[in-house]
Amino acid sequence: MSIINYASREIQFKIVYYGPALCGKTTNLNYIHQRINPQNRGDLVSLATATERTLFFDFLPLNAVVIKGFVTKFQLYTVPGQVIYNATRQLVLRSVDGIVFVADSQWEKMEENVESFRNLTENLTRQNMSIDEVPCVLQYNKRDLTNIAPVNYIEYVLNNGKKRLQSFEAISSTGQNVFAVLNAVSQILLHKFSKQNEVPRATPLAIAIPAENVMPHDENLTV
Amino acid sequence: MNPIPVLTIQDVAMLDGVLADFLKKTEAELTIVIDRGGNVISQFGDMDLMEVTIVAALAAGSFAATRELARRIGEIEFNALYHQGNGRHVFMNSVDDDTIMITVFGSRTTVGLVRFYSAAAAQNVANILKSLQHDGHGLIFDATDISGAPIFTDANQASS
Repeated sequence: MSIINYASREIQFKIVYYGPALCGKTTNLNYIHQRINPQNRGDLVSLATATERTLFFDFLPLNAVVIKGFVTKFQLYTVPGQVIYNATRQLVLRSVDGIVFVADSQWEKMEENVESFRNLTENLTRQNMSIDEVPCVLQYNKRDLTNIAPVNYIEYVLNNGKKRLQSFEAISSTGQNVFAVLNAVSQILLHKFSKQNEVPRATPLAIAIPAENVMPHDENLTV
Repeated sequence: MNPIPVLTIQDVAMLDGVLADFLKKTEAELTIVIDRGGNVISQFGDMDLMEVTIVAALAAGSFAATRELARRIGEIEFNALYHQGNGRHVFMNSVDDDTIMITVFGSRTTVGLVRFYSAAAAQNVANILKSLQHDGHGLIFDATDISGAPIFTDANQASS
């Protein structure tokens, strides 16, 4: 849970990148770490195996001035995607304020995407939280590959809850829409704490993908 | 509409008082109070020693990871953990169900002294945090206080 320190005028928020194994969660944090102004970030900490698979979590602290009079600290975490590390995912989800669910767009990964999303909702429920209440954005990653499912299909299998989540196509390895996703989840969670509670719609950047896969899908509607 | 829990200047002063007294008695270098999600609640001491935010995230992970080990030997969790280095050490102890206290210390003191005084300090911190929950103060922003501009920008794209 976020907390405001009036003495230092700081607010902290925790954003977790969640998704199946090898979907690109760590790549998102790597890109943000490389491309953000170094004055606005700390070190990227990775607790990984010798083969670069996330063992515990990756962690990247970011600073921003987005709320009048306060320094806002965003702490980005990834979870280990491998199925066996569910206990670790539960630990990292503790006190989460916002979630980016990274889905792998490849056809053969759809089952893993669905299973990981189900695992996310179960782990939130264990913490007395609900996917409908926690600010969450979907990132459909790896849109540059050839064997990918159309966006409307991924929407159908993942974004079918009571509340339609905002979703973005992305290529985390080249950084396309990586910042758009981070900004979208940050704005949603900030406005969760505002009186008006209305989030301005984020506009995803155009992304270079095969024409037959382009579908309009920017939704933030409650059905 | 959800208020964010607030630590007022008075709350921070009270916490600082407890932590300053603890550091003085133990001659430790730095102490940090964090929630179990890794968020820093309060800190006191030589902040130049290390990046506190990262230490907090790693300590929360370390504390949580040993919980399963504790369960295997019939405990709910370990109340305290000690990491011994060559010159600098870390002692972590549970404050309450949501909070942990981390103490970094060097050769000027001993783990026994830190452990002894940390119990009382943790109790005092717990009492202050408990009173915050009862007071229930929280902050809600006006949407106009939140910047509409993108919060984070790609430095290379912004400059091109």
